[in-house]
Amino acid sequence: MTELVIQGALSGLLIGGIYGLIALGLNLVFGTMRVVNFAQGTLLMVGMFMAYWLFVLTGLHPYLSPLVTVPALFALGYALQYFLVTPLLARERAREPMSVLLMTLGLALVLENLALMLFRGDYKTVQVRETSAVWILGDYIVSVGRFWSFVAMLGTVTALWLFLSRTDLGRAIRAVGQDRQVARLLGMNDRVIYNYAFGISTAVMGIAAAALVPFYYTHPAVGTSFLLKAFVIVVLGGLGSMPGAALGGLAVGLIEGVIGIWTEAAVAQILLFAVFIAMLFFRPAGLLGLERK
Amino acid sequence: MRPEERRIALALGLVAAVLVALVPAAAQALLDDHAYWIQVHVWILFFAMCATAWNIIGGFAGQYSFGHAAFLGLGAYTSTLLYLNLGVSPWIGMLAGGTVAALAGAVISYPCFRLRGAFFALATIAFAEMLRVGGELTDSVFGIQINGARGLVIPPVGNSAWAFQFTDKASYAYIAYALLLLTLAIAYAVKRSRLGYYLAAIGDDEDAVKSLGVDTARVKLAALLISAFLTAVAGTFYAQMVLFITPTRTVSLDLSVQMVIMAVLGGLGTVFGPLLGAVILVPVAELTRAALGGSTIQGAHLIVYGVILMLVVRFTPGGIEGQVRRACRRLVAWIADLLHGPAAARAAVVNAPVIQLPEGSGLGLRAAAGEAVPLSVENVTMRFGGAVGAKDVTIEVGPGEVVGLIGPNGSGKTTVFNLITGFLTPQTGRILFGGRPIAGLPPHRINRLGIARTFQIVRPFTSLTAAENVMVAALPRCATLAAARAEAERCLAFVGLSHRLDTVADGLSTGERKRLELARALATRPRLLLMDEVMGGLDQRSLPGMIELVRRIRREGISLLVIEHNLRVITMVTDRLVMLHLGEKIRDGSPLAVVSDPQVVDIYVGGTAALR
Repeated sequence: MTELVIQGALSGLLIGGIYGLIALGLNLVFGTMRVVNFAQGTLLMVGMFMAYWLFVLTGLHPYLSPLVTVPALFALGYALQYFLVTPLLARERAREPMSVLLMTLGLALVLENLALMLFRGDYKTVQVRETSAVWILGDYIVSVGRFWSFVAMLGTVTALWLFLSRTDLGRAIRAVGQDRQVARLLGMNDRVIYNYAFGISTAVMGIAAAALVPFYYTHPAVGTSFLLKAFVIVVLGGLGSMPGAALGGLAVGLIEGVIGIWTEAAVAQILLFAVFIAMLFFRPAGLLGLERK
Repeated sequence: MRPEERRIALALGLVAAVLVALVPAAAQALLDDHAYWIQVHVWILFFAMCATAWNIIGGFAGQYSFGHAAFLGLGAYTSTLLYLNLGVSPWIGMLAGGTVAALAGAVISYPCFRLRGAFFALATIAFAEMLRVGGELTDSVFGIQINGARGLVIPPVGNSAWAFQFTDKASYAYIAYALLLLTLAIAYAVKRSRLGYYLAAIGDDEDAVKSLGVDTARVKLAALLISAFLTAVAGTFYAQMVLFITPTRTVSLDLSVQMVIMAVLGGLGTVFGPLLGAVILVPVAELTRAALGGSTIQGAHLIVYGVILMLVVRFTPGGIEGQVRRACRRLVAWIADLLHGPAAARAAVVNAPVIQLPEGSGLGLRAAAGEAVPLSVENVTMRFGGAVGAKDVTIEVGPGEVVGLIGPNGSGKTTVFNLITGFLTPQTGRILFGGRPIAGLPPHRINRLGIARTFQIVRPFTSLTAAENVMVAALPRCATLAAARAEAERCLAFVGLSHRLDTVADGLSTGERKRLELARALATRPRLLLMDEVMGGLDQRSLPGMIELVRRIRREGISLLVIEHNLRVITMVTDRLVMLHLGEKIRDGSPLAVVSDPQVVDIYVGGTAALR
């Protein structure tokens, strides 16, 4: 029994890395613009299809796909912010404008159903060594694909953390997130900074996609389930908190992995939503987020 | 609108309503594939009903629910289960379903209504998804078969009005039309009632509504109950039309999202907007399906919905209702001109650059609000994390007294206001009003006791007119809308805004907004009024008018607590001054004594500057 629980926890923790990565992207946009990006999951789906087709057409290993997908998704995110979101922010006075949420919702509907039309709704998988390879550690089995996804999460979190705390652009992103008016007065071009933040948040989806594609199915609707989990994580770990997103992802993965031993994954999903609502109710700033006035 | 225009508009509306009712019969007479077209017609009516019901909470109050399909599913399942297990007619089941959905709404509202904006939206998604996944996993509840994801089939019995089953599509079209008209009538009634005013104001600024003595949680709950009930009624209709329901189809996120999109396209917060949205989007979805080859591609129409949503959000954020309404107005005016000759030109509103207060009597606030009573803030402390907002602050405001609160930025003045008005609860200390402890009461209760406030950064309800702004404040104390309107006109006249009654607040200048906010606060008939920098940001020409206004308010006999930075002005209007510094009270005395105190001068003006 104990072995089973530990095995479930281990698998859950490893997939939780991916959840953390998606939540990280969501948090970057939320932290800077106070905007919930409903298209975050769909942009992950775009990244997954890019990695999938790169593999099918050129044989490029998914782990190398970020060489292509990260710049491409960065450009896409930058453009989306520039063309779709910035005009709305320029118009809105509200701090957390709902119009941007509706805009990203529209984008998600378009991208997801476009993918459904182009690639049909069957579940696509790639076959590489990491798809089925496992390592045996004593009594436990570790999926190689999941292990590398976990490593990718750790690497990305560290890189982003260094970026946000050590570079001028990173600091500017955080400053604009705290008060865009003041940041503007101090000579920062908040619009360009938003473009970068959205671009980086989207580019991170390229890394998550590369880590996922070897052992997960690629499907137009794959984004929605990840998005809902990412929302839970963001609220659990704290809005705008990078370590919070990473730890929240691990917590959600852990809950799923352990619950999954006894029952269907869907039950874990219900439990996660219950946790989500309880968190919103009792501790809306999250476990690691700063208390807001 | 002229009376003859009103008659023409009414006649046109009736003609349109009759024409819609004739659609099924016309289709049967004229079209070969009439069954298909009548079905499209039914879908338009069904979605219009759902979106109109959604709009009562989503649009009227700006509470974007993305989980309304849950109510639809509850309605569909309740009536179907009652019919299958107990043989209850779905007509009765429809009411039962509405009740179940309203109860569910009441339960959901408790955690959800504390959340704002995107978080409210996410919480409603979470609730609906829990219901859907739970439904898919559950085969029976308390011994009642619900068959999990396989769903429930209603066995066809042919034509039976009692069983809510008909063999011809036209019958469903007539029922859907009747239900839609009922839903629209209820939405219209809500919009025109005091509930409608409160909801619109909540959509603009919920905290400001609370400060006016309105229990916003109850208002939102009422709207949600109505909205959930009507959505569930649509759910029963859906079940009877399709005769097959599953959690996956009824409680789907896509369905919830479609309700939102239709309402957004048509116009949030309008009565007929969601109907317009459905009239446009359902046929567009059908055309897309037809163009892209039947139903092989499930989500094709959602691409179009997404594109339309993005275009609307980008280019007409208010929806298309406004344009359609203006076009209808022009049509009606054109017909009226044709029939009755052209209308006389309207007088334009002229900008009044300087505040002009009307001569004459005051508002009679003392008589209305009862005798002024003392406010005692006793040793109140409030910390935010490490920062101190107020530290052991004691302030007395006697009956009819005017007390000024001064201090540099960050000295805790607004914190004290938030503590007195219930937006913050002090960690230690007491606040008494007329001897009654009020610390910890919600803002609307404190306002009901007779304490009103204005906000430092003015917070008018930007989508409402000046008169409507003040009506929101007057309504809790008025029996009818007409009485509230009269009260609003009186208060606006008192502050010199009679010429702006029907101007939307968004179009008012800063000075006008400040006076609007004063009128709004006065309409709650306060015994004590807290004014947060009402002189701030006013130009030199407006200042004397504002000072005169404050004096007139004081002559009403109510007590005032005034935050102001302009020391010359504040010494002119107050009996006593309290000086705060870093959250602590450092001086309390006659205005001249306080402003000439060396320490006050040192802190406030940096020592060297002299006061005139």
